[in-house]
Amino acid sequence: MSAGMPYGLQAMLKDGHKHLSGLDEAVIKNIEACRELSKIARTSLGPNGMNKMVINHLEKLFVTSDTAVIVRELEVAHPAARVVVMAAEAQEREVGDGTNFVVSFAGELLSLAEELIRDGLHPSEIRDGYQKALEKCLEWLNEELAIEGTETMDVRDKVAVAKRLKGTLSSKQSGYEEQLASIVAEACVDVCPKKNAKNFNVEDVRTAKIVGGNINDVQTIHGMVIRRNVEGSVRHVENAKVAVFGCAVDTQATETKGTVLIQSGKDLEEYSKGEELQVEKYIDEIVESGCKVVFTGQSFGDLALHFLERKKIMAVKIPSKFELRRVCKATNATTLIKLGKPKPDELGYASKIDVVEIGDSKVLVLKQDDASRVSTIILRGATANAMDDLERAMDDGINAYKALMRDSRAVAAGGATEIALAKRLSDYAKTQTGLDQYAIQKFAQALELVPRTLAENAGLDATSVIASLYAAHSSSNKNNNRMGVDVSGDQETVDLCESAGIVDLLEVKHWALKLAVDAARTVLRVDQIIMSKQAGGPGPNDARAG
Amino acid sequence: MSSSLRSVNPNAESMDKAAALFMNINAAKGLQDVMRTNLGPRGTIKMLVDGAGGLKLTKDGNVLLKEMQIQNPTAIMIARSAVAQDDISGDGTSSTVLITGELMKQAERYLNEGVHPRVIVEGLEAAKKSAIEFLKQFRVETGGVENPDREMLLCVARTALRTKLEEHLADMLTTIVTDAVLCISRPQMPIDLHMVEIMTMKHKEDSETKLIKGLVLDHGSRHPDMPKHVADAYILTCNISMEYEKSEVNSSFMYSDAEQREKMVEAERKFTDDVVRQVIALKKKVCEGNDKGFVVITQKGIDPISLDMLAKENILGLRRAKRRNMERLVLACGGVCVNSPEELSPEVLGHAGEVYEHILGDEKFTFIEDVSNPTSCTILLKGPNQHTIIQLKDAVRDGLRAVKNTLIDKAVIPGAGAFEAGLFVHLNEVTKKTVEGRAKRGVEAFAEAMLVIPKTLAENSGYDAQDAVISLTDEHENGNIVGIDVTTGEPFDPTTSGVYDNYLVKMQILQSAPVVATQLLLVDQVLRAGVNMRGRGPAE
Repeated sequence: MSAGMPYGLQAMLKDGHKHLSGLDEAVIKNIEACRELSKIARTSLGPNGMNKMVINHLEKLFVTSDTAVIVRELEVAHPAARVVVMAAEAQEREVGDGTNFVVSFAGELLSLAEELIRDGLHPSEIRDGYQKALEKCLEWLNEELAIEGTETMDVRDKVAVAKRLKGTLSSKQSGYEEQLASIVAEACVDVCPKKNAKNFNVEDVRTAKIVGGNINDVQTIHGMVIRRNVEGSVRHVENAKVAVFGCAVDTQATETKGTVLIQSGKDLEEYSKGEELQVEKYIDEIVESGCKVVFTGQSFGDLALHFLERKKIMAVKIPSKFELRRVCKATNATTLIKLGKPKPDELGYASKIDVVEIGDSKVLVLKQDDASRVSTIILRGATANAMDDLERAMDDGINAYKALMRDSRAVAAGGATEIALAKRLSDYAKTQTGLDQYAIQKFAQALELVPRTLAENAGLDATSVIASLYAAHSSSNKNNNRMGVDVSGDQETVDLCESAGIVDLLEVKHWALKLAVDAARTVLRVDQIIMSKQAGGPGPNDARAG
Repeated sequence: MSSSLRSVNPNAESMDKAAALFMNINAAKGLQDVMRTNLGPRGTIKMLVDGAGGLKLTKDGNVLLKEMQIQNPTAIMIARSAVAQDDISGDGTSSTVLITGELMKQAERYLNEGVHPRVIVEGLEAAKKSAIEFLKQFRVETGGVENPDREMLLCVARTALRTKLEEHLADMLTTIVTDAVLCISRPQMPIDLHMVEIMTMKHKEDSETKLIKGLVLDHGSRHPDMPKHVADAYILTCNISMEYEKSEVNSSFMYSDAEQREKMVEAERKFTDDVVRQVIALKKKVCEGNDKGFVVITQKGIDPISLDMLAKENILGLRRAKRRNMERLVLACGGVCVNSPEELSPEVLGHAGEVYEHILGDEKFTFIEDVSNPTSCTILLKGPNQHTIIQLKDAVRDGLRAVKNTLIDKAVIPGAGAFEAGLFVHLNEVTKKTVEGRAKRGVEAFAEAMLVIPKTLAENSGYDAQDAVISLTDEHENGNIVGIDVTTGEPFDPTTSGVYDNYLVKMQILQSAPVVATQLLLVDQVLRAGVNMRGRGPAE
């Protein structure tokens, strides 16, 4: 319609505006962009997924198969693809895992929707169909596909927890899932609050990256690892009381500017002496309380440090406010905001504080014998990249533990759940009478993406794998809906839960399905795009070009 | 003509008569084309990308017009009147643009046949007057603030929201906005929608959005040891600083030894400490012997030392509250906002059943809930990503306005195009007979233009516009009030399904759209100094 008009919308807008509308220009283009994104993500799915090398605009290199990182660092500019990226980010925020599924699945849903659009279906019918399919899927997921006996679990049972985490970790650090799962489980279970496990805070499990060693040296420490040396010369203490100061350990200063009034040389001498006495008094008070370690969020004065040295007290400076709070948490101390004698209940306790040399860096290791409230996973690896990747895997694992708190139910891994859903959906589609049945059918087809990709990434013949999966699911065997892809290629299908104890968390699948479908539906709902001119300043592209 | 202009200003451009009119009409039509697909519950969504790459998904005509940087002068005029429509009534922007565009389009037909614009305008004026009369007859009376009809309010809110959001979301928000307005409305008092705080959280799903009869503050306590959850709490709302304040004059301390300095450090704090002690004393007084909690919310700061003192007494202290929140706090929890420590007394305290902190990533939120007689409430919007939240926010704003308008108007108009179709019939059957001469053409144009609403509704739902309009007008000629059912494309009675529009919105549309259209029709020359007419810059 706008073609016949000399003054279309384009001419009414400011220079540099882009206006795209209609099926071909907007909807199909959007779908193409999302499909491209999904193609990028897809090859990283599953244990045999490939890594990506991403260089962001700061020239930082990432080598990872973690989709959350890939899509974030890719700086996707296309608006529709951004919707998918945002869905992935939301997934990362909610459950911390399953981002790859969100991106791949949303892309697959959209590219299948394109076929329907080309066949003449209206996007609104596809949307309705997808929504219906999603609702059905979630219903089946919650009612039929959860593995029996997983409804309840002891979140403090390290072995059981490790088993649940394996699924998540196997897709990130394939081959090491067994040992990493138990490390993460140990770290998480230790800090899990005794009273209400739901209050588990992912922040309480820290990771510390230290170059050198390899993945086998990764270990959990009950307590904290601070990448800092002590200020004084005391490097080892045991069974020590700990004082944590929020203020500087130094002479006190007034907020208003102060001037020292000195009239003679004697005054000066006396002033220095008085100062000294004052500091000594403070340090003595601290010593009296029985404390052997002093942490401060600010700095140590030279004088104060001198007296601390004399009394053989360990002095540690922690510039980060949050780190200081964690020290408080780990030692059960209260931050003191004024220098002075700490009350007994304000002091914390640490079983052992050591300066340890790991690799070439000196780190402070604070250990607690009984369960600490903070635990740290020391990550080792040959390169910074390898450790970054390891760290992300750990983060996913820790987040998965958090998700376990909300819902401990698990579903079969290895594409088994997807096939089970796809099979049910295509049966359901046949009972539908409206035009949305085609969309439901496509939804089922899109679900095959997961086993297909798993097989492809493992170098198997995807089509035959899917055929045998469907066959396995239709068989009358018990637990037939748990049969998934065997990425080793030894068998056609395998029950991963039975053979390797690998399961996926229902919570992860639940959100991933929801967010992916939501993103796909949002993209399908748009029929016009109006873009204003990019604002000035060097964009990410300029930086890369230069 | 233009040569004489050239001699005045060599860079100026002019367009006269036919060209000017043509441009105006085309701009109106162009804008109409963009907005057309937005109208009604089945309208599609537009994706707006701003200069920084931010995304916005919207169906709201107002948002669209504001975000699009329109340059064409005619389009700007129409857009401004539509935005004004939103400022006044909160809804009906798309309709304004559509009707303005359609009025121009219809007028163009007659102009091409040689009718003078002035004559058409006369007809439009007459039609407008008659339309407003008709609107007054057409309205359905309902309760005002004193006796609100919740059912009716829900209907109006639903109708407004469904044009902005997806159905399930709209239905959910319907009850939320209605209850929010009912919560803050008091007889004999003007309704202040600012008393409904809209809070956003990037968390979970859009369907988790809820109404909180109380307040949500977007910050938390700044001390790790303060209670995270306080039940049955006294609320002290104050504007007292609990941190060291520098003196206004330039001052400094003089001391000659460390001991003196220690004393000064102490003296310096004393003033602040005393204030905190007074608060603590009050807490002790009211909480003695019961297990009630105590919350201090101040507009000024609380420094770490004071925070620590409060924390030791198990008092939740919130600092740097927003001014508007202070006002709402008093309305929600009761009590009085205190400005000096001398005024502290049990009488000034408010009360809340539950105060708790919610941490979301790096952000902290403090919920103050379960208050006794709320005259202020909060709508907590949740969504997985920014664009969903923005969309919700815009919609909630409009929903609130729709409910408020209904309470003030004490009347609603049956929606779904019923009014427009009714007006069409009325103008053709009644008004046209009262107008003399060629102005009849103007009335006809006005009547025809009204049909753009039902037509577009039908089109956007995938039905044939002509079929829908003909069956609609037939029904109206038989005296039935019907609108278009967007799910079937057939005429239906909007009152049975509860599709109602705001009286104010319709009134505003009738007031503004014809005015803009007539102004544009009466333009016979467009002059522009310097810049190229088509907005492509002088470079061309």
